[in-house]
Amino acid sequence: MIEFVKICSVLGSGIAMGMGAIGSAIGEGMIAMKAVQSLGRQPQASGKIVRIMIIAQAVTETAAIFALVVSLLLLFQSGSEAVLKGYTFIAAGIAIGFGTIGAGFGAGLPGSAAMEGIGKQPENSDVLTIQMIIGQAVTQTSTIFALTVALILVMYQAPYSFLKIFAILGAGFAMGFGAVGPGIGDGLVAMNANKAVAKDPKHMGLLTRTMIIGQAITETTDIYAMVVTLILIFVV
Amino acid sequence: MEAITGEQLIKALALLAAGISMGFGAVGPGIGEGFVGGKACEAIGKRPDEANLITKTMIIGQAISETTGIYALVVALILIFVI
Repeated sequence: MIEFVKICSVLGSGIAMGMGAIGSAIGEGMIAMKAVQSLGRQPQASGKIVRIMIIAQAVTETAAIFALVVSLLLLFQSGSEAVLKGYTFIAAGIAIGFGTIGAGFGAGLPGSAAMEGIGKQPENSDVLTIQMIIGQAVTQTSTIFALTVALILVMYQAPYSFLKIFAILGAGFAMGFGAVGPGIGDGLVAMNANKAVAKDPKHMGLLTRTMIIGQAITETTDIYAMVVTLILIFVV
Repeated sequence: MEAITGEQLIKALALLAAGISMGFGAVGPGIGEGFVGGKACEAIGKRPDEANLITKTMIIGQAISETTGIYALVVALILIFVI
């Protein structure tokens, strides 16, 4: 049974990093694409554009780093006698692997909008950077939920029962896929807010407020998924 | 390991189904609400003087988009606690 748990932890590790890389990679690619376009339009602002591109990509990278952390944690788990641990490792991999796709892709959207805005008007770069970072930070919430659930699942211990296996796997699916939509949705809100700020920076206060309200409401679905996940882990 | 009865199997798969229901059920509303919020921000950028009206409409639109997420939640809770 030690071999079974070890196999499951390696499998979970692969799912976590393989799936976890998708979102952030696309997101960072979009940021770099818009940055390159902006460089073509405003070559004299290249220092500013490259600096802000790196900030935007670093924030987008967070989601993949969370996946990497959980992946390494799973990879170096020692075998265990408890069979249920094997299933919690797979579920942790699913939760963080799929849970980062939305936020990684989502964080790329405001980043790309900010890069485009800076390419049109490099003098607005400070305002746009602040707006972009607020939007990206809120977008990361869904990954943070997924990370929390994944860490709970890695540490979780319970007596073996047939029901518990399916409850644990269900919890992984609920959190993993549940975080995809809200992550992308938060990114869409932040992207359009950034575009609007790029057009007219003096409305930034109003736009930030609306963006945060919109993102908070988008995040509710993620909270439902988290509630169902926690019920499946702790109540069933 | 003792034999698994049909009833246990139904209950076990209901729990898995609850997870799948809530997981995939949250994808659509999340993206949909993002579209609503995004376009609301765009509209406020164009007409900041109408911000209150736009915010109100955004919240109503997002609440209605949310309903499918609530359906998924209800189905998941029924699958966990009723079946």
